[in-house]
Amino acid sequence: MLFANFRLITKARLLRQVGVAVLLLFVNVSSALSYTQGGDEAKVEQEKQVPLALINQDRLWQTHIEQGKNRTVYFHAWGGDAQINRYIQWLSSKVKAQYNIDLQHVKLIDTSEAVSRVLAEKSAGNDDRGRIDIVWINGENFASMQQYGLLSRDWVGELPNFSLTNPNKNPAMTRDFGIPTQGMEAPWGQASLTFYYAPPVHDFVQSTPKANRAQHSLSTAQAPKTIKQMLAWAKQNPGRFTYPKPPDFLSLSFLKYALMTLNEHQPASIKNRLYQAQTKESQAQLLPKLWQFLDEIHPYLWRQGRYFVTSGTALQRLVGDGELSLGFTFAAAQVPAAVMRYDLPEHTRSYVMQDGSLSNIHFLAIPYNTSQIHAAKLVVNYMLSVEAQAKKQQAEVWGDSTVIDMSQLTQQQQSLFDTLNQHPSALPINSNITALSEPHPSWTKLLTREWLQRYGVQ
Amino acid sequence: MAYSNHMLNSLFNTVVRLSPKVLITILILPVFAGLLGVLLPAFGWLPALGKTQLGLQGFSQLLQTPGLKQMVALSFSTSLLSGLLAFIFTLLLLATFFDSPWLIRIRRMLSPILVIPHAAAAIAIAFLITPSGMISRLFSPWLTQWHIAPDWLLPHDPYGISIIIGLTLKELPFLMLMTLNAMAQPALNNKIQAQYRVALSLGYYPITAFFKVVLPTIYPLMRLPLLAILAYASASVEMPLILGPNTPPTLAVAIMNWFHDVDLSMRIQASAGALLQLLVTVLVLTTWWLLERAIKKVSYVSLSNGKRNYGDIILAKAVALLTVLLILVIALSLAGLVIWSFAGYWHFPALLPEQWLLIHWQSALLQLQIPLMNTVLVGVLSTFIAVVLTLLTLEFEQQNRVKLTKFHSLLIYLPLLIPSIAFLFGLVWLQEALHSDSTFINVVFAHLLFVLPYVFLSLANSYRRLDPRYAQLAASLGATPVKVFFKVTLPQLFAAILVASALGVAISFSQYLPTQLASGGRMLTLTTEAVTLANGASRRVSSVYALMQMILPAMAFLMVWLILKLKRKW
Amino acid sequence: MTSSLQIDKLKIMRDQVPLLALNETIAGGDVLSIMGPSGSGKSTMLNWLAGMLPHGFCADGELYLNGKNITHLPSYQRRLGLLYQDALLFPHLSVADNIAFAMPKEDKAVRREKIAKGLKDLGLVNLENRGPESLSGGQQARVALLRVLLSQPKAILLDEPFSKLDSQLRQETRQLVFQQISQHQLPAIIVTHDESDALAANGKVIVLDATPKHS
Repeated sequence: MLFANFRLITKARLLRQVGVAVLLLFVNVSSALSYTQGGDEAKVEQEKQVPLALINQDRLWQTHIEQGKNRTVYFHAWGGDAQINRYIQWLSSKVKAQYNIDLQHVKLIDTSEAVSRVLAEKSAGNDDRGRIDIVWINGENFASMQQYGLLSRDWVGELPNFSLTNPNKNPAMTRDFGIPTQGMEAPWGQASLTFYYAPPVHDFVQSTPKANRAQHSLSTAQAPKTIKQMLAWAKQNPGRFTYPKPPDFLSLSFLKYALMTLNEHQPASIKNRLYQAQTKESQAQLLPKLWQFLDEIHPYLWRQGRYFVTSGTALQRLVGDGELSLGFTFAAAQVPAAVMRYDLPEHTRSYVMQDGSLSNIHFLAIPYNTSQIHAAKLVVNYMLSVEAQAKKQQAEVWGDSTVIDMSQLTQQQQSLFDTLNQHPSALPINSNITALSEPHPSWTKLLTREWLQRYGVQ
Repeated sequence: MAYSNHMLNSLFNTVVRLSPKVLITILILPVFAGLLGVLLPAFGWLPALGKTQLGLQGFSQLLQTPGLKQMVALSFSTSLLSGLLAFIFTLLLLATFFDSPWLIRIRRMLSPILVIPHAAAAIAIAFLITPSGMISRLFSPWLTQWHIAPDWLLPHDPYGISIIIGLTLKELPFLMLMTLNAMAQPALNNKIQAQYRVALSLGYYPITAFFKVVLPTIYPLMRLPLLAILAYASASVEMPLILGPNTPPTLAVAIMNWFHDVDLSMRIQASAGALLQLLVTVLVLTTWWLLERAIKKVSYVSLSNGKRNYGDIILAKAVALLTVLLILVIALSLAGLVIWSFAGYWHFPALLPEQWLLIHWQSALLQLQIPLMNTVLVGVLSTFIAVVLTLLTLEFEQQNRVKLTKFHSLLIYLPLLIPSIAFLFGLVWLQEALHSDSTFINVVFAHLLFVLPYVFLSLANSYRRLDPRYAQLAASLGATPVKVFFKVTLPQLFAAILVASALGVAISFSQYLPTQLASGGRMLTLTTEAVTLANGASRRVSSVYALMQMILPAMAFLMVWLILKLKRKW
Repeated sequence: MTSSLQIDKLKIMRDQVPLLALNETIAGGDVLSIMGPSGSGKSTMLNWLAGMLPHGFCADGELYLNGKNITHLPSYQRRLGLLYQDALLFPHLSVADNIAFAMPKEDKAVRREKIAKGLKDLGLVNLENRGPESLSGGQQARVALLRVLLSQPKAILLDEPFSKLDSQLRQETRQLVFQQISQHQLPAIIVTHDESDALAANGKVIVLDATPKHS
């Protein structure tokens, strides 16, 4: 390890001082590369010699196809959902057929594992044989990786399918939680915070014959529809709701939803500070409402707020166990899928909050040290295709909203995105969503720190 | 011919002579390099983040972490108490059933639990004690009037009771089997049996006789497994993650969270935390040692005070009840897992699901092929290396009539005694730095660290128990060392080697953190999949995986059992 | 009251095959010698007497100690002292504590005194605080004897007690043991394959046949 650091320093010095040494390094790297991969794979060639700016888009893309075929690409993506995993398997079969690329899904428990991995590689001086070729990412993880220079830059514009998102008209496609993506990541899908409601089965079972349960149009009339109603509801139904613990992504989404809606009545000049880096002043203006709300609701949460689940999936499990009546998720399609897999009660119903629903986009990034840059771009481009995006939006597949701008498509292409036969537990198509966009990422870190300080130790 | 024979012999001798060194190196180098890889960042050295100034910032950051005291207290108390409980239960079971055919039956019942991975055991126990779990369903609503799952203390209670339950249940079989193994050495066994009988004939009641006569002799043999249990418990991640509280969690869980924090500068705090974890583990071990000395001192007088009965009859009944309870708890947790894996809708407080389905198994098995193959390959290869190295080292021991020094045997168990969370992150860095690119080899070596000590523990007993006169006799008949080793020693150890292999494979099957870290997440095994899904949304799918995790090592032991049975028939 | 040990119509079987039969009464101070080749069941019989019949054997018959039926008492309530060929002193206790272990519960000082006197009588002065493993074989045998005697047994069972001692020591120890037995007026049974033991015991001798092998 000391040896590795020594190597790192030596490399840097060589680069700076002696130009010829760069050549030597190349020899070094390519000889290392030749035993990087398994025996049946072709020898990796030196990709950095392609002068990017000089070739036009088409020829550039042809180069990617030629150099990217027949490779193995490791896609690091959260693997906690069987439905999403199956969709990635489908993607894998598609790129295999199209480019003979082996797309391997590396299932993460938490995306930060991938961030750690690239960091470990960088610290060991591994700048060109990285093990991660594509990573599914957004928000804090992206902020972190771009800050430490762990991502490839300026490649998204090369993807022919990126124009389908109409980035000039939709600035959201090039901003991740407010941070400009600078061609480091391509949008993949978007989601908004969806709640699901499953009251204690005891009352429900007694009033409804078994055969009618799945179709029963149980209303969500009893469920809380605004942040204010949530407090009253929790007091009436103690122990039937909770939210995950920060720094979980879903947890922070809930906190941000509460932070925004609780400050709804404030003047715009103050509300807009949520979209700027937080300051001492803006904290003092916006946070007290949130802490007041949490202080009040915690005693009525599951376990009286003394234990918080660690993830949204654990939350769903508790609703499935009948220990909670209310849960929420960013993947609305997970709810009907879980009901069909018997993991949620058949009388579960989805809805969005009337006072606003936090919405965000998730992205695909390529680490700076991938050895498969061409193949990775081919895969990401396919993931942005009409075919892949339409499949992804199907409720029974994944139900993740597309990032493609529909106005760019033909009628026939648009019809691919229609969902038929909605499951009763799915979010009604006509739901009226008031989108709340993500605040500046500095708030995420602040909320995590402050929450842990206040409620993390009891 | 004679020449090549000579070559073979000298080669064998060289291999045998080198093997203890190789074995020690394989274990020590990664551990210490890994520790160094944590030590430097702890003091602020993390060039990848542009931090190259040594300082104590990581520690001051650590000390300011809210709830640090509770984390340390939780780690300390759960590990010490679970170790103590496992120890007491082991002694009570041994004392009550010593010299009874039940001892063998209990041993048979506990053996399968030994090979259940911690994660799977935690999942099973969580389902047992959770408010909507099996115990609650058994008594609802007819007794409790609960129509809605109550909001009670377990699991995730702030006192760590759930962790203690889980760890105790998992450690008890380990300690029990290790003790029984140690006691099975014929010379020792005859001696303690005879002494036990002397005590009985002198009017001592059985349980009292065990505590006054047998325990002082066997305790030294229990010490190492005990320390391993304590060290493991003080730094384990799976059990506290699935069963423990999180406001705050145990120290080890907190460290893992910091290592995985999106804010990469948390690495420095995490590394400092890993050092604190080492300190906590040392503290637990020291406390145990002091406790041991104190009890020894206090109880010595009462050993010879002539009192022959300490409520033996009542105690025996209590232990019988405890045994039944223990078996019930295990059976109920397993039943819960099995039911979930076939369950359709299953509302609280129904004791059984509304539908019975195969889809959870079907969909899981479809996705299991590659993980299953990886699991088996890594397990077999790491176990093979471990068995070969162990045999050669033991052969060295026997050829040279030396026993490994205390220091050396301590080194062998180092990976079991040093919290893996303290060196695994450093190890990954080392593998990166050595440009070790083969995921497969990295994982095998990481597994070897944990497989080797167990294989050694298991084989050393049998090897040292061999009557050396057979080898001496063979040598006097003109057999070369190679021939003696392959024709005399190995055949006598056939059963022991098979059992050690099954144990090694089982240990390898259960590794989560080493697999995940050494492969960079690229290698899917049954256990990595199971832990991923344990945190997932489906209790049903995670039950399938937990069961698969139990079935696989059980199959290894079943195979051994069958082979031995067939061989006996021949 | 004179003490006695009565074996009433004992039959021991292994896997339903009869192994031996015995019907004897031993009066206090007498020694019954039982001889026979290995496999004749003599040790098994001793185990039955002590209440520790191994698995795979079954026994029929009654055992009376001083007129009281103790056939079904657990071994720890029979109060039969056992002497084996190994001294079996507890390695974790000192010599004095080994003996104290065997003595009934009473005042500590009284016990110390009895131990010191007993050790002196057997020619083992000032060994109280030594560890048993530092003693010679003969000394260990004598400590074991003292341990049994001071446990106040109602009868004594000896299982090849002298077979590990060399001949000089053997004679001395044997003499000492039998002398103590007659002095305490205890009924005793010795199992041995050495005729000189039986001779020295100076009591009734029963020779068991080698049982026909189970085919």
